[in-house]
Amino acid sequence: MDRLMDVLNLLSILILISAFILVANKRMNSYIKTFRLQSIFLAVIAAIFSLYHIFEEGRLEGVIVIFFLIVSLKVVYIPNKLKTITKKVDYKVEKDFFVNIPISVIICCGLVIMTWYVISRVTDINDAYNSRFLIYSISVILIGLFFMISRKKAIGQIIGFLVIENGMFMAAMLTTSGMPMIVELGIFFDLLTAVLIMGVFVFRINESFESIDINKLRNLKG
Amino acid sequence: MILLLFIIPILTALSIWVTQNRKIINILNITGAFLLLAVSLYLTGEVMKNGVLTTGYLYNIFYFDSFSAVILFVTSVIGFLVALYSTGYINEEFRRNIVNINKTRVYFSLLHAFILTMLLTITTQNMGLMWISIEATTLASAFLVGFYNHKKSIEAAWKYIIICSVGIAFALLGIILLYYSSVQSMGKTVEGINWQFLYENAASLKGSILKISFMFILVGFGTKVGLAPMHTWLPDAHSQAPSPISALLSGVLLNTAMYGIARVMAIVNKSLNSNLFTGRLLLILGIISIGTAAVFILVQHDFKRTLAYSSIEHMGIIALGFGLLTPLSIFGALYHIINHAFTKSMLFIASGNVYLKYETKRINKVHGLIWSMPVTGIVFLMGIFAITGMPPFSVFSSELSIITASFGEGHYVIAALLLLFLVLIFAGFITRLLGMFYGKPQEKEVRQGELNYTGPAVLITLLAIITVTGLYLPVPLRTLLSAAGEIISGGVK
Repeated sequence: MDRLMDVLNLLSILILISAFILVANKRMNSYIKTFRLQSIFLAVIAAIFSLYHIFEEGRLEGVIVIFFLIVSLKVVYIPNKLKTITKKVDYKVEKDFFVNIPISVIICCGLVIMTWYVISRVTDINDAYNSRFLIYSISVILIGLFFMISRKKAIGQIIGFLVIENGMFMAAMLTTSGMPMIVELGIFFDLLTAVLIMGVFVFRINESFESIDINKLRNLKG
Repeated sequence: MILLLFIIPILTALSIWVTQNRKIINILNITGAFLLLAVSLYLTGEVMKNGVLTTGYLYNIFYFDSFSAVILFVTSVIGFLVALYSTGYINEEFRRNIVNINKTRVYFSLLHAFILTMLLTITTQNMGLMWISIEATTLASAFLVGFYNHKKSIEAAWKYIIICSVGIAFALLGIILLYYSSVQSMGKTVEGINWQFLYENAASLKGSILKISFMFILVGFGTKVGLAPMHTWLPDAHSQAPSPISALLSGVLLNTAMYGIARVMAIVNKSLNSNLFTGRLLLILGIISIGTAAVFILVQHDFKRTLAYSSIEHMGIIALGFGLLTPLSIFGALYHIINHAFTKSMLFIASGNVYLKYETKRINKVHGLIWSMPVTGIVFLMGIFAITGMPPFSVFSSELSIITASFGEGHYVIAALLLLFLVLIFAGFITRLLGMFYGKPQEKEVRQGELNYTGPAVLITLLAIITVTGLYLPVPLRTLLSAAGEIISGGVK
């Protein structure tokens, strides 16, 4: 049990590091590759849970369904779809970020520190492992949010949203060892639909505005 | 029986894709909406007699009590009226070649899918499923907001989907934390995420985790409700969507998100045994929303945007009512949910007629509304007075309850600010919008006469409803509201 917790601890830190790598990227293809890496780590977490349940308790938990869903959707399907979108869309936006990279990384460090402080003030999380898992998950969510607001290309916003969802799944799996199956399935399909709809809108933005620079969407004010 | 609530919209939405004949689509649309109305009224009656309805499927996933009944009543009535008005609206746009037959089918099927997701939100007690449905409402209405596919619509739809999805993702974090506190205190049970289970065992849930969970849920669902400072998507989405959809978005969708907040607030209040924490947060967000709306209404050039900011204001008032948590203010807030829904839908439907006739949304290009469309013009004029809180319309009664409760609790600053903002909003509405009604149309040929029959019929129905409920609240409705209020306050205070 302790070894399980140690392995999960290592994987969750790797996910956090991959979030930092995402912020430090500059090109759209690297965004997608880093997201794929993060999803692979998440899938490994799900796999470890299901293997643990198979070996220790001798039964097949629902987590194995989640493992297959993560692998098929987040590692294979969604990154491929995003790649096809980026190929079809004209990305001549010069400087993609509002804040330059070194300062972004420092801001992300600040976010992790802030999360650590906030969770340490929540007095009722007794388990040391749980509190750390919660800190890493919420940090990944906040870094995903920061990524979303600091990039000008519409694809960056979709990737940021997907990273936020990765953080959610991390939180759900690590702290509560999985929410009820119907909820997890529903969340997956909701997110898939959200990404597909956002993809459609990226096409429409590209057609109407001749670029996917979010800064150009300024008609509605006041 | 609750399952019928879902089967009817699914069947309607799917069957619209089978046919290419516009008449059949209109008939399917209206029949589906009417059947839904009938089933909802029946269910509301059942709840008033029996208290709580549950079905045993999937560990009591469907749960229906008086609070759900209030929101269901509003949703189904306005859904029916909007479906009725949509036929006239889309027919007119089809006649002008703005939409073709495929777009018509997309519109009507998405309309029913949208209503389905809202119904799913209010009849489930599984907090995860509630989250899934609220996210699904965003997805179902994204294409409806971006329906017209020009630059402003696409921008509005993109803002809508991004801001609402991110906000709702934070709400998911809150729900995960809520489930975490339930697992931590009571172990992993299959009922662990159901509202009833959490509500009954609220005393054993850990307080500080619930506090953090409530903050995330308030910010998350608050984005969907339109509380400032998370409201930035609302004016764009509500003004760029087609008018029947704006009526649904404004009158019904904001209520379902507020329903989510109120459910979690009930659990947290019961656990902490006081409403100081949730009350303060709701009061602050509420008063900031009303203030933001007041400031922006004073400088508007677009009448649909003005109505959208007014929605922000009214949602702020409802949040204020829930934050104060006295019996009077909860009653006022619930009553306000109903009143705002009817009044705002009426206004958006009237504005839809104005848009069809004058083909513009700018205030300074519309003149002589009472001359060109008497019914729409007079209803719109009455509606402006109604929405800013003038007696004898219903919004006056609910706002008066909330103001009285606020003074009664000793929150003089909040009440004074509320009154100030209400006065500013009234002033903004009158100075900006009154020029639209009198005189004669100055631009091109605006023919006299209403555009179709369904528009004025729906408008007059809604006007009658808000006038009558302003003067006399039917006793069954009053008992329903009181019962719902007891559920929310959870015996605290």
